Amino acid sequence: MKKTWSKSLLFLMLAFVLVLAACGNNGGNAGGNGGNGGNGGDAGNGGNGGNAGGAEELTMMWWGPEERHKATLEAIDIYEEQTGISFQTEQLSWDGFWQKLPTLAASKSMTDVLQMDAAYINDYVARGTLADLSDIDLTGVVDDAVIENLKINGKLYGLPISQNAQGLAYNKAELEANGIELPKEGWTWEEYFEWGRTAKEKLPEGKYAIGDGASAWDWINWYQTGNGADPLFTPDGLEFNLDKDLFMEFHQTFADMREQGIVPPPEKTLSFLENDPTADPMASGTVMTRGATTGSVSALETMMPGQVAVINLPVGEEGGGWAQSTIFLSVSADTPNMEESKEFVKWFITDMEAGKALGMTRGIPISPEVYAELEPNMTTGDKLGKELYDIAVPHALPFYAIAAGFTEWVDTYESTMEGVMFGQTSIEDAYEQMNELGNRIAEQNAAKQ
Amino acid sequence: MADITAASKPPGRGFFRRKKTSDENNLAGYLFISPWLLGFLLLTVWPVTQSFYLSFTDYPLIADPTWIGGANYDRIFTSDKTFIQSLKVTFTFVLIVVPLKLAFSLIVAMLLNRQMKGMSIYRTAIYFPSLIGASVAVSVLWRNMFGVDGYINGVLQWFGIQGMGWISHPDTALGTLITLDTWQFGSTMVIFLAGLKQIPNEMYEAASVDGASKIRKFFSITLPMLSPVMFFNLVLEIIQSFQMFTAAFVITQGGPVDSTYMYAYFLYEKAFRHFQMGYASALAWILLVIVAILTAINFLASRYWVFYESGGKK
Repeated sequence: MKKTWSKSLLFLMLAFVLVLAACGNNGGNAGGNGGNGGNGGDAGNGGNGGNAGGAEELTMMWWGPEERHKATLEAIDIYEEQTGISFQTEQLSWDGFWQKLPTLAASKSMTDVLQMDAAYINDYVARGTLADLSDIDLTGVVDDAVIENLKINGKLYGLPISQNAQGLAYNKAELEANGIELPKEGWTWEEYFEWGRTAKEKLPEGKYAIGDGASAWDWINWYQTGNGADPLFTPDGLEFNLDKDLFMEFHQTFADMREQGIVPPPEKTLSFLENDPTADPMASGTVMTRGATTGSVSALETMMPGQVAVINLPVGEEGGGWAQSTIFLSVSADTPNMEESKEFVKWFITDMEAGKALGMTRGIPISPEVYAELEPNMTTGDKLGKELYDIAVPHALPFYAIAAGFTEWVDTYESTMEGVMFGQTSIEDAYEQMNELGNRIAEQNAAKQ
Repeated sequence: MADITAASKPPGRGFFRRKKTSDENNLAGYLFISPWLLGFLLLTVWPVTQSFYLSFTDYPLIADPTWIGGANYDRIFTSDKTFIQSLKVTFTFVLIVVPLKLAFSLIVAMLLNRQMKGMSIYRTAIYFPSLIGASVAVSVLWRNMFGVDGYINGVLQWFGIQGMGWISHPDTALGTLITLDTWQFGSTMVIFLAGLKQIPNEMYEAASVDGASKIRKFFSITLPMLSPVMFFNLVLEIIQSFQMFTAAFVITQGGPVDSTYMYAYFLYEKAFRHFQMGYASALAWILLVIVAILTAINFLASRYWVFYESGGKK
């Protein structure tokens, strides 16, 4: 009996192998990927020998709003016509994209070409998932200094698509209607808080001049770096620095304002959902200011046309905010279509036709020529984006991404500071917890080196 | 004599034939269940074994796993505060939601068990929400309903009550998720309904003759007769509630202040946000042990309160 069973099992296994083999043949891509991975990123050419005939299909995924999807598909159509290469695309929201990508990366099945963000690129480079694009010639399109700046360990892993900058947007129409002085360019953190206090006095009940930035990690990082301290973490994730004095000062200021009703109550703050017409802090009419970037401010403008104006992030002695490329086009290290993918990403950011189709859906195009072509036809939202960029540049500090391994810290910061907002944790305790966790992660990163 | 025996029943051939038939039968059997068997081996047994191995490794998803022994378990039990918090939240959730849901679905099942015109329409209408209940869409809907400017607060405003941020305040967020989960009572209710239909009417008639009140009938007939079904629902609900994920993920992301930090969400966050797959695997095995222990306790306790008409299995 036992023997019979094992015989049947053997038969089953055989059937299995056949089934698997069949699958492998159909999904030629999967097999090709494995082979390439073994060859390493640099030997891309050699590994692609089997595909010498040229790829007929590329895959691509990106995140963004509806307009960006339409514009990108339009640009891809042009490329398909020009080259005969067809595309399989996937368009996702920001959240959906970053939830899906880790699993794709783990199974080595990322799309050939993908949009990448400065916030996460370090993580993905550290895992060896992105191809080295240093050999793509971008002379005349992107400044050499900019390229040098974007290199990670001396190599370029993503072509910058656009210029981006961080600042604040404010509800100009409503501030004027309430006789409130508009924010002045170059305002400092003290001026920002003070403006929040005085403006609140003139606003009707239930409306606030500034939002509560206590649980957003980038705000404390801006405050810290703007006031001359080191950033929270170095890009390699090996050093962690949470300045105690600045931390206490920043959070005490917000705590006082929360108590006095100058910023919204925590339960209100936590229910905000940016770019949702009814739950956006600004579009819902609740808060007069909120963070905005060149790439995102036009979405806000669409929700409240004609009411939005922009200003720089509050500055410290060092400056404040950032102005640089944060959206990239990357190529998967495992792609069997390395050359075709590289050609396509170059075309995507340099070609005039592509530029026209894409418009400003990813911010100010990185190519000056493309931008010059688009400038006369910019929409109000696009102009706001450009204005924000121009305001941000003179004050700009570097853009700080979440370093590898520090997503855990950012998540914990959020929930811990929520505890402070609801009065369940003291600021002092929060500092101790966050400092301990940060140092532990930095140590773990160092141990892995 | 010897010849006849040999001709009519060649021992070698007979044995061979018999064996072949049983072989064929077995093979056919395995082939028939192979769609399930393949799925079970490939998609269940293999990943489960893998995850057990991974729970002893440091596995950042992209790089290869490295063996670190019991370090994951050590960290979970000795220094991870979020582990304690998520256990607290999950146990609170289970302890409240399971009895609530069972009671609620039993009441609805009893109402739907009455003889009435158009009852099937009511049954459909009441069961309907449960078909879509666990989906993401419903979670999104609830997020909008219970938001600060949501419909619930809108309705409260008609009565002059100032609403609050139900899902954005740590005191009420878990309660909101409990309400949502209780509302998804459909499947338990259907099982109760089937159980109620099984109870012979003669028992109630006999009780009526003896002058038993409705309440008395409920406690002396309905409940004992329903106890096997109740037990089944209880075990199922406990296991399901421990794995509660969708609403915590879509509506609250574990917040505010970790007040809805469900164990399954914690596990997800470790695995797919923080890329600590080894750590997450260890968490998964701990959850398995917890649920297994609770289920075992349930089965042991069932001897004292579950009534089988046939006298029970034993």
